[in-house]
Amino acid sequence: MTFVRPLTQEPSMTSPHSPQGVPTEGSPPHAPSAVAIRNLNAWYGSFQALTNISLDIAAQRVTAFIGPSGCGKSTFLRWINRMNDTIPSARAEGTLKLHGDDILARSMDVVELRRRVGMVFQKPNPFPKSIYDNVAFGPRLHRVYSKSDLDMLVEQSLRQAALWNEVKDRLRASALSLSGGQQQRLCIARAIAAGPELLLMDEPCSALDPKSTLAIEELIEQLAERYTIVIVTHNMQQAARVSDTTAFFFEGQMIEWGETEAIFTTPTNRQTEDYVTGRFG
Amino acid sequence: MAVNLQSRVIDLRRKLLAMGAEVEQRVALAVAVVRDGDVDIARTVRETDAEIDAMQAEVENECMRLLALGAPVASDLRLILSAIRISNELERIADMAKGSCKRVTKLVESGSYRFPPALLDMAEATRTMLRDVLVALSNEDAKLCLEIRRSDSFVDALNREVMLWSREWITQDVHSTAAAIEILAIGQRFERMADIITQIAGDTVFLVEGRILRHGAE
Repeated sequence: MTFVRPLTQEPSMTSPHSPQGVPTEGSPPHAPSAVAIRNLNAWYGSFQALTNISLDIAAQRVTAFIGPSGCGKSTFLRWINRMNDTIPSARAEGTLKLHGDDILARSMDVVELRRRVGMVFQKPNPFPKSIYDNVAFGPRLHRVYSKSDLDMLVEQSLRQAALWNEVKDRLRASALSLSGGQQQRLCIARAIAAGPELLLMDEPCSALDPKSTLAIEELIEQLAERYTIVIVTHNMQQAARVSDTTAFFFEGQMIEWGETEAIFTTPTNRQTEDYVTGRFG
Repeated sequence: MAVNLQSRVIDLRRKLLAMGAEVEQRVALAVAVVRDGDVDIARTVRETDAEIDAMQAEVENECMRLLALGAPVASDLRLILSAIRISNELERIADMAKGSCKRVTKLVESGSYRFPPALLDMAEATRTMLRDVLVALSNEDAKLCLEIRRSDSFVDALNREVMLWSREWITQDVHSTAAAIEILAIGQRFERMADIITQIAGDTVFLVEGRILRHGAE
């Protein structure tokens, strides 16, 4: 099932398939929402980068954002953990809630928000520290751990990131000595160690070789059992392989959103069809 | 080999429609053979069947290449999956046309024979169904496909008439048994062709809408 919004039409708060007034548009049936977005508009100065975005990001599922460069998907991702706060001209209006908490509220503790919303970037960006210290960095920032507790947390995080067996004998080695694929999994372990509710991945495999890409994709599938994951990708096949739901963005608007299977077999919107089949973008 | 999926998909569609046109021509000839008992035309249909087999193999190979190398999705994927099925179904229809021609030739060469009126009606109706389904495929017309699926029952009814006629002929003249069996077999060929055409109609609905219409689903 997919939900399509014509470019010229105001977004609806209510699904035609949902009871009156229940804002569950586009949400897969019975999937609880981790992030609820309603009428989100965002600007860089006078340029409007996002227009009337409304969707629910389902908990413990993988949601893929696809669309051509400059369509607003990374901007959208960066509002979910308020990364755009660092850009003076960036501003947003609308509703953006993480498990009911208003992300855009002035009162939102941004440091705490970024603990709850981990982020993995396009290029692996480990700190120039040891493997152990990279993973322990977040937990140390947020609270004091005993050494044994921290050891356990580091091991658990590395195990969840499918990296433990490869690094367990050299935890004090520099993170920069790891391969690109290992560095990216380390960054995932670092994000996991902070105890996030949501993991944002902005083209996490674009700098990796096919084998490392496969390892990350398998990891995403495993992590989705515990975490809600949002992935931005330009790789259509990757979106099709790893995600449960897919949202297609174009020129700052969300054009279509639905089950990934439907988006890649029977998209409802012509623009989505043209994009996923490679006819534009 | 570089794969330009968009142009290759357009080319695949063209090949499938070209194959459809060739099969339609053979079915038209098979109908003419039933109508006129022309064994020369029947021989032509039988001898050129290999061309259809080659076209089917070409479509299927191209589909396999595009699936392996082009990573198709959405309408491209549906077209490729449909093309595999439809090319196979068209090839079977051509086989049925060949089989019908073979049976008519046998009857003509045996000397005296006669056909029930329902047999020619049935052959004509089957040919019309095939023409319509190819138009629907070409125009991606799902509505027409649903009408075609419903018209299959008309051919079934005519086939029952052929069966009754043959049974009666055998009852009246036991020496006609061999010829009546051939007529039943010809009727069965056209009835089977109509069944396969309804499958092509279902595949065309899948191509257009992504809905699977098989096993009685509408």
